[in-house]
Amino acid sequence: MEQMKIDELVEKYNEGLSDPAEIKLLEQLIEMGEIELTRLRELHALDEQILKVDTAAPSLRLDDQFYTALAKEKRQHGKEPSFSLQSWDLFPRLAAAAVLILSGFTVGYFIQSPAQKNEVSELTQEVSDLKEMMMLSLLEKESATQRLRAVGLTSEMDQVSEKVTNALFTTLNHDENVNVRLASLEVLKGYSKSSKVRTQLIESIAFQDSPLVQVAMAELMVAIQEKKSVDALRQLLKSDKTPTEVKTKISESIEVLI
Amino acid sequence: MEALSDNVLMMKVKDGDLDKMGLLFERYKRPLYGFFYGLNKEQELSEDLVQNTFLRILKYRHLFRGEGDFRAWMFHIARNVNIDHHRKHRIKATEELENWQERVGHHENQSVEMQQHEEHRMLSIAMDRLPADKREILLLSKFEERKYSEIGEVLGCTEGAVKVKVFRALQELKVIFRQLEKIS
Repeated sequence: MEQMKIDELVEKYNEGLSDPAEIKLLEQLIEMGEIELTRLRELHALDEQILKVDTAAPSLRLDDQFYTALAKEKRQHGKEPSFSLQSWDLFPRLAAAAVLILSGFTVGYFIQSPAQKNEVSELTQEVSDLKEMMMLSLLEKESATQRLRAVGLTSEMDQVSEKVTNALFTTLNHDENVNVRLASLEVLKGYSKSSKVRTQLIESIAFQDSPLVQVAMAELMVAIQEKKSVDALRQLLKSDKTPTEVKTKISESIEVLI
Repeated sequence: MEALSDNVLMMKVKDGDLDKMGLLFERYKRPLYGFFYGLNKEQELSEDLVQNTFLRILKYRHLFRGEGDFRAWMFHIARNVNIDHHRKHRIKATEELENWQERVGHHENQSVEMQQHEEHRMLSIAMDRLPADKREILLLSKFEERKYSEIGEVLGCTEGAVKVKVFRALQELKVIFRQLEKIS
């Protein structure tokens, strides 16, 4: 069909003047990809409105249910055998099962208490893993509030993995929101006993362009008496982008450190 | 922060890294909830159906091949979860007019404090009055961000056929919307 005729057809539809036969033809052209839905003004506007209508949000009940189910699945998954007995004949399989059961009883008899202890520590580890997983998921969120929540979650963790500290450093160095960056710095302060974290904190100074974070970093370096940070702080002093007030503060920090 | 693609995450889940399911859940719990809520209008039920969808994804993770789009696969499962639920509970796909009238009345009570959202409210009511299949196609279009070829994968039809379905659904929505405008 000629483009001009297609345009006429669309125009007529947009004016609300199409008859059923023309609508049928319009449908055929839509199906063939000759007419995009966006050209149908009123329908397109309606479609746009649908996108804008707020979507209801699920409650925290869903999170609880899901993460409980996931933990259960993980437990079951962990129990799955990692090797297959399918190719064995029946007798050796039964024999193997009997040996396993017997050894289970024997081992269980001798190490009953440690086994219980292991179970508790496994569960503790599982809870900790779940918190870590939630934290890493939340850090991906578009909403700054959610990301703040993620950073806050780490304070509930007894121990954090390198994966978590790395995620916190990525946040500190690249998150677009100053409050989220400041919150991650605050949390990392708690782990500054680790030499690796201290080194990463020093490296992080160069990434900071917000005066608030720059000052907070200088204060932290003084608080943890990290003399190796002096060079990185001096780089900030050299930069034209660093505001004068911040430079004053950094100079004071350097003086304390050297 | 560079995010891993849905397919990469799902392949990791398939390989036994179940923690990655949490990331997919965080990405899609809201769109899925919106989809189910748009279809059923019940909060708890919609949450349960989201949960069932993810459980089914976990259960059938070995079937994910990573060739198609994860989101299309997920919505395909979500549709089946919804259909199974209604089949099990013998809920009629089409509701009676009286129910809709009740619903319109219910929304009108809320409109005092939501005047600024009047148009969205009416659109929402109009959506609720659409037949289930038309409501579903518009919800899929919304939550699959108008990727008609993906929706085609979900529904098992061509991209062109999806566009026609969307066109017909929008046509009907327009008519209902206008009727509502007249009586409001």
